[in-house]
Amino acid sequence: MGQTSNHATGGSQDVCVEFSNVDKWFGTVQVLHDINLTVGKGQKVVVCGPSGSGKSTMIRCINHLEKHQKGRIVVNGIELTESKRSIERVRQDIGMVFQSFNLYPHLTVLENCTLAPRWVKGVPRKDADALALRYLERVRIPDKANFYPSQLSGGQQQRAAIARSLCMNPKIMLFDEPTSALDPELVREVLDTMAQLASDGMTMVCVTHEMGFARQVADRVIFMDAGRVVETAPPDEFFRNPRERRTRAFLSQILH
Amino acid sequence: MDFNYILDALPDLMRGLKVTLTVSGLAILLSCIVGAVGAALRTSGFKPAEYLVTGYVEFIRGTPYLVQIFFIFYGLPSLGLRLSVFWSGVAALTLWASAFQIENFRGGLAAVSHGVRDASASLGLKRWHHALLVVFPLAARAALPSSMNTIVATVKNSAYLQAIGLVELTFVAVDRIAYDFRAIEMFFSICVIYLLCVFALSGLGHALEHRLNRPFAGR
Ligand SMILES: Nc1ncnc2c1ncn2[C@@H]1O[C@H](COP(=O)(O)OP(=O)(O)OP(=O)(O)O)[C@@H](O)[C@H]1O
Ligand SMILES: [Mg+2]
Repeated sequence: MGQTSNHATGGSQDVCVEFSNVDKWFGTVQVLHDINLTVGKGQKVVVCGPSGSGKSTMIRCINHLEKHQKGRIVVNGIELTESKRSIERVRQDIGMVFQSFNLYPHLTVLENCTLAPRWVKGVPRKDADALALRYLERVRIPDKANFYPSQLSGGQQQRAAIARSLCMNPKIMLFDEPTSALDPELVREVLDTMAQLASDGMTMVCVTHEMGFARQVADRVIFMDAGRVVETAPPDEFFRNPRERRTRAFLSQILH
Repeated sequence: MDFNYILDALPDLMRGLKVTLTVSGLAILLSCIVGAVGAALRTSGFKPAEYLVTGYVEFIRGTPYLVQIFFIFYGLPSLGLRLSVFWSGVAALTLWASAFQIENFRGGLAAVSHGVRDASASLGLKRWHHALLVVFPLAARAALPSSMNTIVATVKNSAYLQAIGLVELTFVAVDRIAYDFRAIEMFFSICVIYLLCVFALSGLGHALEHRLNRPFAGR
């Protein structure tokens, strides 16, 4: 993968994402309380927690799909502020995959993948096509390049969405429940793609309740509840020996 | 019914049809542009623009079309704006059709999912690229059926413009009836001509709809 460029605003070169005392409100409702989080280069962090605990909001703050009101968020040395420039710079480094895929329904899979490279980076069409095909091969759907999203299974759509993100050559990938909209038999293929990405050294933050995936891939598991980070631990410890009562209650529900 | 009379009147009717199609064509084109821009303003979040567009739509929908035509042809000159019969006609028809196209496009915009917004933002797409390359095609497709209705109505409503003396299809027919009293022949003829125009337009609309729906057909 590409090298981390360091636009030193403090923070060492090996820190990709850093939250310091981040608060967020939706109107008058506070949904994130004093979030502190550091994701190092190449690390894989899995975020879990009950519905409404603020997982999506937190991960969406990383690329400023949601804006925070207090605290600092620094991504690859760039602090996220209101300035358009900082948002643009940060988004260049981050790819995101959504629960509902969010593919462009009027474009083929190939066109989905080439839209941003062509219009954001000005990559010539032929090069963008070649790039897209390479990533579609990597997620193992090169034969679907000229299909429309509606002609693909959910698993294939999600893999297309992953390829679309990768075409922008991100240094960090965010996943917000990438498999929860999928039929059970399609979950595997998406998790495999993600695991492969992880083994290639990508820095990843994944909101997911796939605990098998967390065990296999994560360096750290973060448990959120009511807008706070309640517990952070390596997966072994997190599953075997959770410290907090709320974590135990949650795990006992999730692991039947 | 005297078909020879109709044949005799055909060149006149064709001249009228040409005016009908020119005026309607211009109004359709312009109203689609105004509709797209108006709908964008209407949902822009910029309150003054939103109120202005809403006020305009409500005004057009809440007043008789004929009054709007008279206002433009007889009223505007006293405000210092004198338009020819032809351009008064185009203006009146455009203003009327735009109000409906704004509503049609607004419906189209509402049908575009929020998800693609997130996708474009996360990919770093500029807002106007997203608007042009993603929102516009999706909204246009969603708005097409209702928009087609307005387009057909625009052609039919061009007939009102005979009230200010525009020599379009209906004017020609009414004019001849005044001299020759062959009402059945004339009304029959122009009905057939209007119907043919409407069928042609609907056919075009369906073809376009079919084309735009291809990506959504599924397996
Ligand atoms: N756009 C919004 N406006 C107002 N409140 C919101 C908005 N988005 C989320 N919330 C609220 O913020 C809180 C956190 O929501 P969030 O979507 O981050 O939770 P989550 O942990 O991702 O839940 P889930 O597992 O259901 O996806 C919830 O109480 C939710 O109702
Ligand atoms: Mg969520």
